[in-house]
Amino acid sequence: MQKKILIVEDDIHISKIIKMNLNLVNYVTTEVYDGLAALEAVKQEKFDLILLDVMIPLLDGFALMEKIQPYRIPVIFLTAKNSVYDKVGGLNLGADDYMVKPFEGIELLARIETVLRRYGKEEHMIKFRNIQIDLDKREVTQQGEPVELTPKEYELIVVLLKNKNIALSREQFIDKVWGGDYYGETRTVDMHIKSVRKKLQLQDHIKTIYKIGYRLED
Amino acid sequence: MKFWQKIYLFSFLVFVIIFNAASIMVIERSHNKMLGQEINNVLSQNMSIHSSVDAIVPILRIYDSIDYEKTVLTSIANEFVAKNSDEHVYMEITNDTNQMIFSNTDFTMPTHREELDNLDIDEINYILRDIDQHTILFTSNITNINNKRYVFTYMKDVTPLYQDRLDQYGFFVRVDLAACFLYMLIMLFVSRGLTKPINQLNRTAQVIAQGGFSERVRLKSKDEIGVLARNFNDMASVVENTINELERHNQEKQRFINNFTHELKTPLTSIIGYTNFLRTTKYNEERFLDGLNIIYSEGKRLESLSFKLMDLIMLQEDHFQMEEHDMGAVIAEIEPALEMMAKEKQVLIITDCEEGKLQLDKDLIKILIFNLVDNALKASAEQQSIMLRTYWRDGRYILEVIDQGIGISKEHGDKIFEPFYMADKARTRSYNGAGLGLSICQSVASIHNAVIEVGSKENQGTTIGVIFDQIGPKGGMNS
Repeated sequence: MQKKILIVEDDIHISKIIKMNLNLVNYVTTEVYDGLAALEAVKQEKFDLILLDVMIPLLDGFALMEKIQPYRIPVIFLTAKNSVYDKVGGLNLGADDYMVKPFEGIELLARIETVLRRYGKEEHMIKFRNIQIDLDKREVTQQGEPVELTPKEYELIVVLLKNKNIALSREQFIDKVWGGDYYGETRTVDMHIKSVRKKLQLQDHIKTIYKIGYRLED
Repeated sequence: MKFWQKIYLFSFLVFVIIFNAASIMVIERSHNKMLGQEINNVLSQNMSIHSSVDAIVPILRIYDSIDYEKTVLTSIANEFVAKNSDEHVYMEITNDTNQMIFSNTDFTMPTHREELDNLDIDEINYILRDIDQHTILFTSNITNINNKRYVFTYMKDVTPLYQDRLDQYGFFVRVDLAACFLYMLIMLFVSRGLTKPINQLNRTAQVIAQGGFSERVRLKSKDEIGVLARNFNDMASVVENTINELERHNQEKQRFINNFTHELKTPLTSIIGYTNFLRTTKYNEERFLDGLNIIYSEGKRLESLSFKLMDLIMLQEDHFQMEEHDMGAVIAEIEPALEMMAKEKQVLIITDCEEGKLQLDKDLIKILIFNLVDNALKASAEQQSIMLRTYWRDGRYILEVIDQGIGISKEHGDKIFEPFYMADKARTRSYNGAGLGLSICQSVASIHNAVIEVGSKENQGTTIGVIFDQIGPKGGMNS
């Protein structure tokens, strides 16, 4: 099941870039540009998550937040304000997270995933071509046959699949797979990419991107 | 100690001291007067004895017998004693050999009699003596009879006078206690009443100190405390106004910062978002060009914002070239540029200028006109026109920019001069606006001692008038 995400952002360019990022990883998105339209959309349709800009016309983010509380939809605030007061105010109103502009697409995806997981809405199965991953059992099968992966290789393929079509830097891989406190060499990433490519026959799909890192492509 | 307690205690102490001292003085004075009278009485009695004796001295000379003298003197003494029998009077007559001739005293006479020490004939001396709980007034004189000196001592018991004084004191103590009690009671209310307004002031000051700046003292009295209360209230309103002003400034500043960060972060978010998207995803020509266009336009927007901000910052500094220029000529200079701007939107610019030589900073005036026309353009639809005219009225030079655009609704009216304020975000955004234009105009106007007036009707157009009144302090036009 694809997740539906409502983007409430009055700046059309920002709205569009968020949509493009979300669509890459198979989220379905709806864009609205003001508070009243957002309220209307929430009443009409069922969303799994709302990305909500605070400074929007007609009805600002905080006011909208209060009105949509009964729908119990997870909300991530997008805000240009970064004063502590605004953060606390937003979270007190029941927001699940906030992101201060400017932000990067990959960070947004990570936050969305975290919030969805908290609501029990995360994916249990990821499919990519002939590969299937059962996230609950941590099992990887290719054409029905189980594939033996080390824990780090498993984490690596999951990160690649969750950020499909987006190039990730070696630092980002280290951060997501090994954790922020890992101080090893970035060459470790190359070694693991190599073995994942080999074990899952993804030589054509895991691309090396010049000056950045690696990208899993359809 | 509290102030009312001080008033109470000190006034009470003063009262006790003065009241007691005065009463004692009165009692003592009346006692002394009575005593004086008594002494005079007794002395005159003594004199009359003396004169009685003097009257019979010639007779006594004839007989010249001690016994006879004794008999006569005794009878005179008895007569006097009898005459004053109801009063405690005593008489004693002794001769110069200290022999007792007459005495009716019921107490023992003192052995030493100071009053007799330097007593001359025909002189009366007196002295008060305490004998056996009695106070006795002694008056003595010496009379010469047949070359013998007789000492006549006439005495009176004046104890009742002292008893009187004692009674007076007794009475006084009772009155004193009652008066003090009454005084304490009255002063309690008086001192409490007098200090009540002070307590009220005190409570109000506490409320104000805790942040209740709108609290005032309600006191209508005309005394010093009333004046203090009024001054206090005046002070409180000044403080309140200052605080409100600060609060307003603070909010304005906070709004400015919020709006500024918003204006800055929005294009940055787009730029970072699109560049990152383009560099991390697979190349797609359409998306690539789209993205680059957005990055370019957002970059332009940042550029425009930074220029406007620089304008604003420049206006805060203080070096302007104020020279006499003709406004009409300045407008003529920039007219081609304005027409270029308007052409894109197919809007017609009409100018109608009266000559007007004013003290101007030409560059700033150009910025002002550009911003006003820019705003008018944003509000206008295609095929409409924008009128730019200048004229004299009542000694003032007026520059007006009139459009036929969408107008400004009342709710935005008072805020449009605030930096970054935008009546309609979506509209201005699409023209690279940041809401700084009118703030800049406002600053330019105030540098030129001009005011900006806004007249607007929704969907009928807006007229922005800049009224130059250079007769004021910065005036140079008439010189």
